[in-house]
Amino acid sequence: MKRQETGSAAGRPRGHSVLASPSARIAVGILAVIAFLTIFGAMLAPQNPLAINAGQLFKGPSAQHLLGTDYLGRDVLSRLMAGTRLSVLTALEAVGIGLVLGTVPGIATVFLGRWFDFAANRVADALMTLPSIFFAVAVTAALGNGLVQAMVPVGILLAPGFFRVTRAATLEHARAQYVEAATLLGASKAHIIRVHVLRKVLPNIAVTTASMTAAALLAVSFLTFLGIGVQPPAPTWGGILSSDLAYLSQAPWAPFIPGLLIAVTVGALNALADAFRDRGSAGTLVLLEPVTEPEGVVDEQRSPAVA
Amino acid sequence: MTAVTLTRTPAVAGPAPRRRRARAAAARVGGGLAVLVPIVFLSTFITYSLGALSNSNPAATILGQDAATPAAVAKLDRTLGLDHPLIVQYWHWLTQAVQGNLGQSWFTQIPVAQSIAQRLPVDLSIASLAVVLAVLIGGTAGMVAAVRRGGWFDRGVTLACSAVSTLPAFVVGIILVVLFAVTVHLLPANGYVGPATSIPQWLKYIILPSLALSLQVAADIARQLRTSLVSVLERNYIVGAKVRGLPYRRVLVRHALRNAAGPALVVLGNDFPQMLAGAVAAEAVFSLPGLGQLLLESAQTRDIPVVQGLLLVISTFVIVVNLIVNTTLNWLYRTDDGLLA
Amino acid sequence: MSNDRQPLPEELLRLDDLHVSVHDGAATAVRGVSLSVRAGEIVGLVGESGSGKTLTCRAALGVLPAGCAVQGGTLSFAGRDLTALSRRGWERVHGSQMGAVFQDPASYLNPSITVGHQLAEVLRVKQGVPRRAARRRAAQLCAAVGLRDPERVLDQIPAELSGGMLQRVMIAIAISCEPRLLVADEPTTALDVTIQAEVLELIQRLRDERGLAVLFVSHDLAVVTQLCDRIAVFYAGEIVESGPTREIAERPRHPYTQALLRVASVGDFGRRELEVIPGQPPQVGADITGCRFAARCPVAEPACRAGEVEPVLVGDRHQARCVKAGRRVGELVSR
Repeated sequence: MKRQETGSAAGRPRGHSVLASPSARIAVGILAVIAFLTIFGAMLAPQNPLAINAGQLFKGPSAQHLLGTDYLGRDVLSRLMAGTRLSVLTALEAVGIGLVLGTVPGIATVFLGRWFDFAANRVADALMTLPSIFFAVAVTAALGNGLVQAMVPVGILLAPGFFRVTRAATLEHARAQYVEAATLLGASKAHIIRVHVLRKVLPNIAVTTASMTAAALLAVSFLTFLGIGVQPPAPTWGGILSSDLAYLSQAPWAPFIPGLLIAVTVGALNALADAFRDRGSAGTLVLLEPVTEPEGVVDEQRSPAVA
Repeated sequence: MTAVTLTRTPAVAGPAPRRRRARAAAARVGGGLAVLVPIVFLSTFITYSLGALSNSNPAATILGQDAATPAAVAKLDRTLGLDHPLIVQYWHWLTQAVQGNLGQSWFTQIPVAQSIAQRLPVDLSIASLAVVLAVLIGGTAGMVAAVRRGGWFDRGVTLACSAVSTLPAFVVGIILVVLFAVTVHLLPANGYVGPATSIPQWLKYIILPSLALSLQVAADIARQLRTSLVSVLERNYIVGAKVRGLPYRRVLVRHALRNAAGPALVVLGNDFPQMLAGAVAAEAVFSLPGLGQLLLESAQTRDIPVVQGLLLVISTFVIVVNLIVNTTLNWLYRTDDGLLA
Repeated sequence: MSNDRQPLPEELLRLDDLHVSVHDGAATAVRGVSLSVRAGEIVGLVGESGSGKTLTCRAALGVLPAGCAVQGGTLSFAGRDLTALSRRGWERVHGSQMGAVFQDPASYLNPSITVGHQLAEVLRVKQGVPRRAARRRAAQLCAAVGLRDPERVLDQIPAELSGGMLQRVMIAIAISCEPRLLVADEPTTALDVTIQAEVLELIQRLRDERGLAVLFVSHDLAVVTQLCDRIAVFYAGEIVESGPTREIAERPRHPYTQALLRVASVGDFGRRELEVIPGQPPQVGADITGCRFAARCPVAEPACRAGEVEPVLVGDRHQARCVKAGRRVGELVSR
């Protein structure tokens, strides 16, 4: 897998920010809003998300209720804002697990010999084939109906994605001639990893993290939609969708709102991943030797969509 | 007419080329199988240990609260073999499973295998139709986009793919329900009728869920196929085929598509596990009596044997499908050194 | 100027004042190219890379790369105008009227299908030959192009065959539907010298036995003078000299041709030391008034840059695009 040289002269100047393209800026903006809502959402909601209002069922958007009301007369906007925290935090939980479980072996495998690599690859293959939602639901059977528990298997099943990407990136950079030179000069593996490899691999990890977060968020939405981890009447994005579905005939437009929210957030994360990818490729070191296992044309950066 | 003699012997000696290539392919499949065995063990073991993770005591649950005296529990433990170490229990369970015995539900005493068998056809119907739809929609879209590269169709497809990627299958399902069932009463919003009862009815009930399920995969396939096909169409051998006077359609399908389809098929194989997950989504949205519902119910009641049985069946299914996909790819693209990119 | 002519063989390929643009019309890479190939004739196009010879032969075949298009002039085959031919029209011409072989034969064959299959495919699809018969014909064709053990070769995929064998296979495919013209774009460039000789011999034999006309493109002047009946020399998108091979080799009229011959040490010029032509060819599409070789020409004069230089007849069917060509015979560049 040979590539052409892309020195800094060929493309953008070094150190150009992730925010260069307009879509990246919009994406970051959206995510900033989401992050803000995660922390302060419940407090800033205009109405009480739990307040039932029997006289105001299924109302459309109005001055008082910007996004209308649901089947119990509750303000939809407030519920969405309040529900952001649980959805986002558990998604991040899963990504964190996947990140740690995936990147550490991913880097290590290049340095720990062929048997380890073989075994790690097979385990990753195995995990990649398993449908995460099933395992998530199954775990709740064992450990109780909690979202936190349910996201653990999701996280574990995100790990192979991190593993593959990190391994490929590490392979590329660890074979560089200057690394060979460093080894000959007596540098320890730990030093090489820390100083040479880690920095170069970080952009790839960033890209994968962004797209995996998107996948995790979809997983959370799906699980809450199925009723896992939802303690009614506490709002979650998926939970709101689920109740909207039940009352579809009365309010056919209702599910579009949380649906749009999920889609926009996921889209922003994917755009962020693309922005990381574009930035990471400017000024990258190019190797003339092929990486051992050509990845083919299949794009592995796209997260395994979970639902 | 004298033939010009070669100054070199052919590069290859030994058994006839066809046989040699077949052998190489078989070796790859064999290797794949060999690696599969530990994977199957690993995933089934994890599945089984889920039961151990839960705090509930199976014997106590089965006996019910009133009858669960310590003596009765201990006796049932021995009967069920629950006093053995986990590995032994696992092995026992696995050997039984291979023979078709997945145990019984703790609550209804219905054999797990039976419950699964009852509901499997629903998911199979949806998943099969979804695969067909995904290939048809995604394949056509990708191919037309590649052939009319840069045109409005191409850009439309790219946009549609991005949009679909951000929408989870269950949201797509809901949208479809809103569009086709609620606003326009064309198709039913929920329920299921088996093919044995009436094929047209069956199709009517599964078309929306299958469509919802297929769109994500169709988008992935379209995107991948477009990329591969655009790249293949620029290759010299397409010019070579054209210059021989072969009709364009033949060049497109038998030469270009044949070589470009590989990565797209890989995408299909990769996405298949997600299709199963999506089937659960579809069941939830369309109220279909499938394995997903069974899983949710038994997870809620913490009916461990059912959960374990389901996971085993599903994991095995996914692994087998992956194996078939890989074997098919190996057979289609037999070259000396492996898959053709 | 000999006049003892038998009627000339039928003119097959004819290019008249052909202009080809590249980069979606941004530049003209081939200008005013006119040439013809008659039945049973081997015509050579020779020139450096970028001189326009490959684009010309691609245009003649109707397979210009993306972004390139014929901007002017006409292309005809056996009297029929092909300039604006539809895709279907080209499908009928390819294979049955014109065949083609290219450099790097491995890349022009589908890597995942056996060679026999691809050879038989043409026969089955274009001539409706049934499967078994097609296989037999394929084996015959392989034998005719000099492949030993054709049955075995037919079952192999391109990756399993050597360059020389693959080129023979390509030739077999190209002639399988009995075209009247074979377009060969640098067919021997990527091959070993010994294999090269065999392939050239094969092409010659095909012409002798079947009356196949050949348009042979190469940057190797030695090969072209050895094989071809007539030569056209390309420089910077134009034909600067054309004529019978013997004429060109013995009495080159254009300074570029003379320099080429010297560099390749062909013909009357002996090699004394390593020769180069100083300078670089002009950029594709560069706007130059007058002779495009003038910047590097050792005998350029102001008249050369004055205006468009038209080809001048300097011998029997021998033309040169040089202001000085029509003058005294034997005016050569002095060392």
